Amino acid sequence: MPTVTTDAIALSNVLAELALRQLPCGGWAALASSSQPAIEPTCYATLALGSAPVGDIERAQDFLLRTQNPNGSWPVVHGDDQEGGWVTSLAVIALRDLVPAIPARLRGFHWLLNCSGKESNWFWKWKFRTVDRHVRFDPDKYGWPWFPDTVSWVVPTSFAILALNEIPCFCGGLERIPLRIDCGIQMLFDRACPGGGWNAGNGVVYGCPMAPHVDDTAIALLALSDRGQHPVVQSAVQYLERVAPTLTAPWSLAWSILALAAHRRPIATLHDSLAALSDLSSIEGTGTLALAYLALDYGRALSAFGVTV
Amino acid sequence: MSVTRRDFLIGSAALAAGTAVTAPFLLPKYHSDQRPRRSRVAVLHAEQYSQELDQLLAVGLGLFPINVTGKTVVLKPNLVDYVPGDAINTHPMLVLAAAESFRRLGAKSVLVAEGPGHQRDTQLVLSQSGYQQSLRDEKIRFVDLNRDELIRTPLRAGYTGMKDLWLPRTVLEADFLVSMPKIKAHHWTGVTLSMKNMFGVVPGERYGWPKNILHWKGIQQSILDICATVPVHFVIADGIVAMEGNGPLNGTARPLGKIVLADDVVAADATCARLMGFDPDRIVHIHEGTRFLGNASPALIDQVGEIVNAPTKPFQVVPEFRHLYVL
Repeated sequence: MPTVTTDAIALSNVLAELALRQLPCGGWAALASSSQPAIEPTCYATLALGSAPVGDIERAQDFLLRTQNPNGSWPVVHGDDQEGGWVTSLAVIALRDLVPAIPARLRGFHWLLNCSGKESNWFWKWKFRTVDRHVRFDPDKYGWPWFPDTVSWVVPTSFAILALNEIPCFCGGLERIPLRIDCGIQMLFDRACPGGGWNAGNGVVYGCPMAPHVDDTAIALLALSDRGQHPVVQSAVQYLERVAPTLTAPWSLAWSILALAAHRRPIATLHDSLAALSDLSSIEGTGTLALAYLALDYGRALSAFGVTV
Repeated sequence: MSVTRRDFLIGSAALAAGTAVTAPFLLPKYHSDQRPRRSRVAVLHAEQYSQELDQLLAVGLGLFPINVTGKTVVLKPNLVDYVPGDAINTHPMLVLAAAESFRRLGAKSVLVAEGPGHQRDTQLVLSQSGYQQSLRDEKIRFVDLNRDELIRTPLRAGYTGMKDLWLPRTVLEADFLVSMPKIKAHHWTGVTLSMKNMFGVVPGERYGWPKNILHWKGIQQSILDICATVPVHFVIADGIVAMEGNGPLNGTARPLGKIVLADDVVAADATCARLMGFDPDRIVHIHEGTRFLGNASPALIDQVGEIVNAPTKPFQVVPEFRHLYVL
């Protein structure tokens, strides 16, 4: 793993701000100005707090356990419909170190196993092969949707692969998981942009190659950290190495650091750029703030995402 | 006239296909008729993005009986993604000019709000497209609608079959909401104007990037449900440099030299469509919108500013939308 000196003051400032933003219910809102707890920022903040001596990690974990839907999924915001969505992957990752959360995580894994992009159904496969061909993709290669009843996209598929990779044993009804993971990985390869990297999941539309996005590419690369020799992965890493040094937006910069570190690329300059961003604590997005912390402490973050370097 | 078996089969197939496409719109599915008796549209001429837009917009807004004194004004531009040199987004200079104009008109606060449909990193789009620095310089607050507080909101029309949507508090609590689209051709809907621009209020955090559920429920249907539910008080459409062809992302910049102001989304979009060389009655969401949202007929629109003329050469569209051209 590349080694970079972490600025202890920058880290502690971000952590203190995260602790300050924790809501009484234990969760975090997406924006500093909001008081509505949301699952995505709560998961990143929970991972960031980890074993740090600030904030209340137990209240955060309790909040996540409380908000799980009866079907094993998690809602995007507290009070949402109970059908669940893409944040389920993040929630099972955020609860990885909590022994009492094992049953909840198992229910989450089962939900993920049974959730797939709509194109996995024969009828929609047929439609995408015959009458709806404006977006180029192979419907045999499917992953996970943002929400049930829609097609697969890059980010939810990548998070689902990361989550399912954390299962120590594919037994007890989870035997199909390796096949699902492999299908999701094939879907990611299929949906890559022709010039390298990924966007939301439309590589070519109306015959026109689409541009990649930094964060989508980085998240996909995290999920594919053990596929570094694949040409699609190599091309994406090259894209990210080319673009990341130009970034000043902390969200994309943070994801880039995590992805490039996962692929054993040098990240010292990026790390310094992120640490040097003026007043990280004033970042309005709490998810971004937590991600910035995770990127600055990338070794622990990669381990939390189940990525071994 | 003799009808062969082949003619009969082709005719039956065409009828079935036509019915399948139009059936969802045959019955009214709106809860209330929100149409104004008459609508007002102003077409302003502007060759380029410059500091003079402040003055031009101030004059343009003066043509409308607008009262924003003490109100919170939310400007909703079309901020999708950034590709250098492309005419994808509403230009920040027009948004700044609008903010300045509404401040001068006495607005309590003016903020800019958007939820990009493809990019999860809103701050990246803001910084790359020139918005971040401009908004900071002018002390204008930006709200990321993809991550704003959400309120479950019953839909006021039933075209998608959905009962409700989670929508951002900032938009629902705005006293005066301004849709500020980029005038563009669109490969799924023909055009993307002030009505389609409201897709941006649907939060990505809840519905994904892109907001895929709206595609599955029908884009035209979703536009109608959203516009029925989220009242847009005014439109300022950026047609100084528009986009034709494979929009909304991969089209070609098309200098049009126009800004369209309107107090009615349907009237605004019908006017923009005419400026693009399209028959607004052939654009599904505009046509259906005339039943309950606003007016598209020139007889019901008070036209001020420039006269609306179809361009010598209509905007290019993908083949599926060539039927939009005025014959």
